[in-house]
Amino acid sequence: MTIRLKQLTRHAGTMLATCLLAQTALGGAAQAQDRAALMSEHRGGTITLAAVSAAGTVDPMINYTAQFWQIFQMTYDGLVKFKQAAGTDGFDIVPSIAEALPEPTNDGKTYVFKIRKGIKFSNGKDVTPADVVASFQRIFKIKGPTTGSFYNGIVGADACIATPESCTLEGGVTGDDTAGTVTINLVAPDAEIFSKLAVPHASILPADAPLADAGTTPIPGTGAYMIASYDPNAEMVLKRNPSFKEWSVDAQPDGYADEVVYKFGLTEEAAINAIINGQIDWMFDTPPSDRLPEIGAKYASQVHIDPLAAFWYAPMNTNLAPFDNVKVRQAVNYALDRDALVGLFGGDVLAQPVCQILPPDFPGHVDSCLYTKAPGESWSEPDMEKAQALVDESGTKGQKVTIIAEDNAVARGIGTYIASVLTELGYDASMKAISPNIQFTYIQNTNNNVQISVSQWYQDYPAASNFLNVLLSCSSFNKGSDASVNIAGYCNTELDAKMKQAMTTALTDQDAANVLWADVDKGFMEQAPLAPLFTPKSVNFTSARLGNYVFNKQNRWNIAQSWVK
Amino acid sequence: MSIPSDIASPDAFIPDMPDETAGKRVGASPWRRAWLLMRRDKPTVLAAIVLVLIVVSSLSAPLYAGYVAASDPFRSNLSARITVDGKRVKVMQASTEGLGLGVTPIGPTYGAQYFLGADTQGRDVAARLLYGGRNSLLIATSATVICLVLAAVIGITAGFFGGITDQILSRILDILWAFPVYLLAISLSIVLLSHGIVIGPIEITGDSLLLPIVIIGIIYVPYVARPVRGRVMALKKSEFVLAAKGLGIPAWRILVNDILPNVSTMLIVFVPLMMALNIITESSLSFLSIGVQAPDASWGTIIQDGQTLLYTRPAVALAPGIAIALTVLSLNVLGDSIRDALDPRTKLV
Amino acid sequence: MIFAVLQRLGQMLFVMIGISALVFLIFFATPGSDPAARLAGRNASPETVEAIRKDFGFDRPLPVQYVIMMNRLFVTQDLTSFVNRGMRVVPAVAQAAPVTLSLVAGAAVLWVIGGIFVGVVAALSRDTLLDRGLMVLALIGVSMPVYWLGEVMNLMTQSRFHDTVFFSWVPSLGYKPLLTDPWGWFKTLIIPWFTLAALYIGIYGRVLRANLVEAYQEDFIRTARAKGLSPTRVMVRHALRTSLIPFVTMFGLDFGVLVGGSALLTEVVFGLNGVGRLTYQALLNLDLPMVLGTVMYASFFVVVANALVDVVYVLIDPRVRES
Repeated sequence: MTIRLKQLTRHAGTMLATCLLAQTALGGAAQAQDRAALMSEHRGGTITLAAVSAAGTVDPMINYTAQFWQIFQMTYDGLVKFKQAAGTDGFDIVPSIAEALPEPTNDGKTYVFKIRKGIKFSNGKDVTPADVVASFQRIFKIKGPTTGSFYNGIVGADACIATPESCTLEGGVTGDDTAGTVTINLVAPDAEIFSKLAVPHASILPADAPLADAGTTPIPGTGAYMIASYDPNAEMVLKRNPSFKEWSVDAQPDGYADEVVYKFGLTEEAAINAIINGQIDWMFDTPPSDRLPEIGAKYASQVHIDPLAAFWYAPMNTNLAPFDNVKVRQAVNYALDRDALVGLFGGDVLAQPVCQILPPDFPGHVDSCLYTKAPGESWSEPDMEKAQALVDESGTKGQKVTIIAEDNAVARGIGTYIASVLTELGYDASMKAISPNIQFTYIQNTNNNVQISVSQWYQDYPAASNFLNVLLSCSSFNKGSDASVNIAGYCNTELDAKMKQAMTTALTDQDAANVLWADVDKGFMEQAPLAPLFTPKSVNFTSARLGNYVFNKQNRWNIAQSWVK
Repeated sequence: MSIPSDIASPDAFIPDMPDETAGKRVGASPWRRAWLLMRRDKPTVLAAIVLVLIVVSSLSAPLYAGYVAASDPFRSNLSARITVDGKRVKVMQASTEGLGLGVTPIGPTYGAQYFLGADTQGRDVAARLLYGGRNSLLIATSATVICLVLAAVIGITAGFFGGITDQILSRILDILWAFPVYLLAISLSIVLLSHGIVIGPIEITGDSLLLPIVIIGIIYVPYVARPVRGRVMALKKSEFVLAAKGLGIPAWRILVNDILPNVSTMLIVFVPLMMALNIITESSLSFLSIGVQAPDASWGTIIQDGQTLLYTRPAVALAPGIAIALTVLSLNVLGDSIRDALDPRTKLV
Repeated sequence: MIFAVLQRLGQMLFVMIGISALVFLIFFATPGSDPAARLAGRNASPETVEAIRKDFGFDRPLPVQYVIMMNRLFVTQDLTSFVNRGMRVVPAVAQAAPVTLSLVAGAAVLWVIGGIFVGVVAALSRDTLLDRGLMVLALIGVSMPVYWLGEVMNLMTQSRFHDTVFFSWVPSLGYKPLLTDPWGWFKTLIIPWFTLAALYIGIYGRVLRANLVEAYQEDFIRTARAKGLSPTRVMVRHALRTSLIPFVTMFGLDFGVLVGGSALLTEVVFGLNGVGRLTYQALLNLDLPMVLGTVMYASFFVVVANALVDVVYVLIDPRVRES
């Protein structure tokens, strides 16, 4: 992370360099041409998007879904932001409402952000330091989902979490109107603070934004677009923000289309047909598997496949039989045929077998696979004999195992397959599919006694801790709570200490930290509290008329940068 | 939808005034007379043959899977290869055209192995179809028994004792009856699937086949209990019961001798119709993935699997649908003729 | 008379309250459906979850929660979903209602016409090949699961035969509003109409035929025929009139149940966002406010349809009227 940050700070001074970077980032065809010329050529029209269902509230401080985070990119800004550029450049952090990325002072605990002049909300008002301070208070006052995980390191956050109503963040976030600055004080140095400030939960909103979940009533933002209307059962309409003037191509570029319409309620099949017929431009959901061969063959130029920083995995409850026995967990890892799982996801173009936690190309990732026929760097084939032997040793044969999967075609398929493997290993296994809306919290709660499940994790921001520390630290395990993202219920104090060490090291030496993280990854895999399955790729199927497709590894397809004219 | 209204409209069930001689016909027993009548009706015989064939083939599922298809229909077979026309081919075939997206299971071979092709897990659809039939028939039959027994008990209790008992039971039935039956079934399934049922020492886990049986068995009780109650009440007022009462015959004897035979004929008439209805209900719940749970199969779960293959391998969804339609059709034909032969006044509708 | 009406209303109210309490209990007694965690969002800290729990009043006793929820559903009408935060229940149902109504009303027209046609023709040509053929078709209609028939129709019209002249006009799945796009509305709904109607044409055709056959054996028909009235007249004026009484009763109940959301399988298969699909989604998500709203809506139609049928019954059946 900091490597990239350092790179950036180096570039930040020279405006020219950044602009050039942005140009290359805007992808193949656009490279040579001038952005202004492109803008005059392609500006206008309506981009139509579709999804099976809406993703809940449009409050950027509460919504915690990839589906709407993608939309928030063009409607809201934080002090800093992930760069709106292609590929892994999207992991870079650029200043947005702030003029520049500040160097920390006070032993890495204080950051002074200079607020950019001339930025306006879509209601016409100027963005002031007071708005920034109020926005940080609002995160706590509305009880945002990440108050306890992202923003608890700010001075005064504890009091705000305890009594949100009277939150002031005194000594934590203070504004200075005359100097036009906002100062953030942390309890301790945090290598990931910019990432945490760059996600939509830290969006800067008007100081008078309602102090409750905005629900379906959009809050004015600073982006190139504003949400004009939102109805979760019908559609969301985004229009150009009348007060918008482009201030940073990297952070908040002006968009091509005049209007973006996001339709909800279309089934995947219907959406595919509509894209083929040119009625809509893009669908959020993955195309159904029986249409993949067809679109891959007939509409290859409209299909975009991009790697994601994510993995599908099977958490095993380390506190419940039979998975309280490490041998059983290892056996499952040996027995799973990752090729078969990749096939269930749509074939090796769409996924890559993995047997470690950190995804490929991720900070801290070092190729390694412990659970395959010939352990080494990568997975080759399952080792059934070893798995069988481990199960025999554990003496757990014949026990009843239920696997919980989300109720959609892919997850059901994977769950059924894992149940079949467990049966082969000698267990009495069955699979239960429950609604995708519930499954994720259901498998977390220890009261539900879930033994093994199928789950996925997509990064919030590119840091090894966002996988390892979030998914497997002792503090992520809360007995009897639906909010216990350490689904395996695994707590290893030794590895926990090592993770803390890695996070401290990251403040000064990211390379050394990455080595530590790779070690932690391996350490967890030896204990196998989960079975990694594969790293998925994103499949985007767009209409024939859609041009300048840019995929960003952090926020996926960059809607504002595509044109339909 | 809703439920076929031949059962959904309880008003239509309410029988005409009972035939005083019902159950006491002169000469051959009514059962024997019914049997003779039905044997002469060609469609009935045909339906019975079809039904027997379906039941027998479902029962022989292990034989088919073991000796013909030579594969385990409950095991994922994602990397298997088979020989078709002398060539070794993969069961799960990755697309080679264009970008090479997607993996498609093998289509119908019309041979011993994979006669109807494979499903998304590479399992033999034909073998699963037979196993699925076993579960579908088992669930439908057991649920029918539960439903009729419960309905008889409730209906007779309410009708025979009347008064406050009747009031309470009827009000409960009223509530259940105004709860649209599919919504009730779905609600119960969703809630019970995740936690099972625990009643005293009996525990039914979420993945047990008993769960759909119990749920389907319960939801239609009001629809059968109402007409039973109606008939019992009518019988109570009929001349021969009044006469028996006048003679001082105790209530339980009247119940056993006069009312039970009459009601049981009525229930017998309901059997095939309820079975038909239950098969459709079970398959609908399984289609919504809240019925039979994987890796078990039922016709509904196979249709659900097939839905994701509808455009490339339609056979997976078509075959179980045809099986359901054939079974339900035969049951309906049989139901009509049993009613005509046994108790023509119990109106189907 | 007034007393009877009041009693009836009281009964209806009792049933509705019973259902709401039943739904509330089914969904609130379920462990693992804690709405606070889902409202708090992914990876929320336990403190946040607790704060949300207090905010929404999930820490209060069940009867209190029930009363609050019913009050917000019916009186203030500001009850919001547990899953789509901010989505109000009443407008959501109101928006889905026209979709379901369009589907069911269109199908109803088809099944009434189809049912009468099948019933009358079969009864007139009793015991001929035509009669048998129609009855077999009707039985097939009754025997196919509606969701499966829907899938088969989709397969044919959207894929296999979509490029032929027969089905090239079929638009992609989904609903188009009647007011803004009447022609699109008609085109998207015609296949679902036929799918939903198939079952009911079968049932109604069979019922009507049976009733007509029975009616023809009644004395008054025999008299009419003996008087030399034309067969059409006998059919329309006498036989059909009496035979339609149970038909009307059935129609009222079926229509009520379907409008209330029981057409959910058809809606799910054809991607129509009607009340049925809304209910189904709400049930799957254990979204209690939405479940309460939609189930109340559904049972309202059942209860009202029942009452209406009883009234109509009195009006059209001379036997009931006289007694």
